[in-house]
Amino acid sequence: MLEIAELAAGYGETQVLHGLSLTVPAGRVLALLGRNGAGKTTTLRAVMGLVPARGGSIRLDGRPLAGLPPHAIARLGIGYVPETRDIFPSLTVRENLELAARRFARPGAAWTMERVLALFPALAGRLGTGGGQLSGGEQQMLAIARALLMNPLLLLLDEPTEGLAPIVVQQIHDKLAELKAEGLTMLLVEQNFGFAVSLADEVAMLGRGAVVWSGSPDAARADGEAQARWLGV
Amino acid sequence: MDAAFWIVQALNALQLSMLLFLLSVGLTIVFGLMHFINLAHGALYALGAFVAVSAAGFTGSTWAAFAAAPLAVATVGVLLYLLLIRRLRSAGPMNQVLVTFGLIFVFLDLFRMIWGDIALGLPEPEVLAGQTGLFGVVYPTYRLFIILLGLAVMAVLALVLARTPIGAMIRAGVDNDRMAACLGIDVDRLFFLVFCVGCALAGLAGAVAAPVLSVTTDMGTGILIPTLVVVVVGGLGSLKGAVAGSLLTGFVQTFGAVIAPQLAAIAIYAMLAAVLILRPAGLFPARA
Repeated sequence: MLEIAELAAGYGETQVLHGLSLTVPAGRVLALLGRNGAGKTTTLRAVMGLVPARGGSIRLDGRPLAGLPPHAIARLGIGYVPETRDIFPSLTVRENLELAARRFARPGAAWTMERVLALFPALAGRLGTGGGQLSGGEQQMLAIARALLMNPLLLLLDEPTEGLAPIVVQQIHDKLAELKAEGLTMLLVEQNFGFAVSLADEVAMLGRGAVVWSGSPDAARADGEAQARWLGV
Repeated sequence: MDAAFWIVQALNALQLSMLLFLLSVGLTIVFGLMHFINLAHGALYALGAFVAVSAAGFTGSTWAAFAAAPLAVATVGVLLYLLLIRRLRSAGPMNQVLVTFGLIFVFLDLFRMIWGDIALGLPEPEVLAGQTGLFGVVYPTYRLFIILLGLAVMAVLALVLARTPIGAMIRAGVDNDRMAACLGIDVDRLFFLVFCVGCALAGLAGAVAAPVLSVTTDMGTGILIPTLVVVVVGGLGSLKGAVAGSLLTGFVQTFGAVIAPQLAAIAIYAMLAAVLILRPAGLFPARA
């Protein structure tokens, strides 16, 4: 579904990605792991068009994305859950959701307001609350719910567990496992090795802006040397 | 000085505040969305006044002039956007300031060439001529109309921003334009729309101000600084800020001139300094 080939990208003078290549097949979950600064977030930002690609290609179902503005990439079917969650503080929870729902609702769409609220019942009681007044866990759920309402072909998740209490991490894990069981394609960036590997169908490790290891979750668990070298665990 | 005097001054202050509100609201929301400041906004206000004078001359109706001015100024806004501002979007603040500052002089000379250097006037609509009794004072009816018009525009904008899908899109864009784009919102188009509405309101402000002020080529430069003070005092990007900033600036300017005429010229700057010391981001900034 998503094919990235020889991607080069960065900020200003600093190049972060040096020829990164990876593929996320339809219906699969790819976990992208790596240390801080390895280029995980930059990869997702480049896919969304937030960071310009300086070389290489990014394709969604064969369609090149490079050069398209973020709103066009979003409309092609990529839902983005950024590391900072980016809930709009001036909007209520309901407005945050409707912003996505209104633009992407179509008859027969998999995700509706009722369905995301059934998936995240914690949000149902908070619809009138301002986006700036949510806990970290609620923000994360809202960010995922909002992305789902875009009825995306592909979901990009940037460190969904960061800064969350273990019990909330478990909740998020279960929700993402439900989405995986439904066959949603996901590219999951994580620092939390156990969380990522238990959800993923495939694992890629990033080092210095390129994929340096890839394989199955079992192989990732077994390869202590790769973990020590590329993840520092 | 009795109570009646102060009531009249308060109404004067309110009337000035409403003109400042019409001017500043477009400027501040455009800035909030795109971090773009259009220094030629004052020139668009003057353009509104000139167009109103000409339209009234053609049609014989001040009401027609009030309708023509915002339309004409919004059209000029569309042209400015397509020819200049769209290209300046990624050019950085210094280039934006220089180009829109340059536009002030272009407009000044265009006004001179088209309308000449003599101050022009616009008659107020007949139904609004004369005085009205209010709170025990008599006050020009037309000035009350300006106050009511400002309040009406305020109410409509507040409703649109708070209650409609497009309002939610604008608030989301002001909060975080990149995330709004990631939800499929074309923030550039939103910016264009808000920019045009802002231009139309500047044109409307110029047209309704024309009967109480004289229409001169430099009327836009005179109002630009108080308008920028409103935007900064209110806090960038918020409607609430534009309302609060306009009221504060209008009242400080009016009452400053009455209470301490010798200090009137610096009153709003003293207020600006005081607000910035106490609340560096302004009173109600959109991004806390």
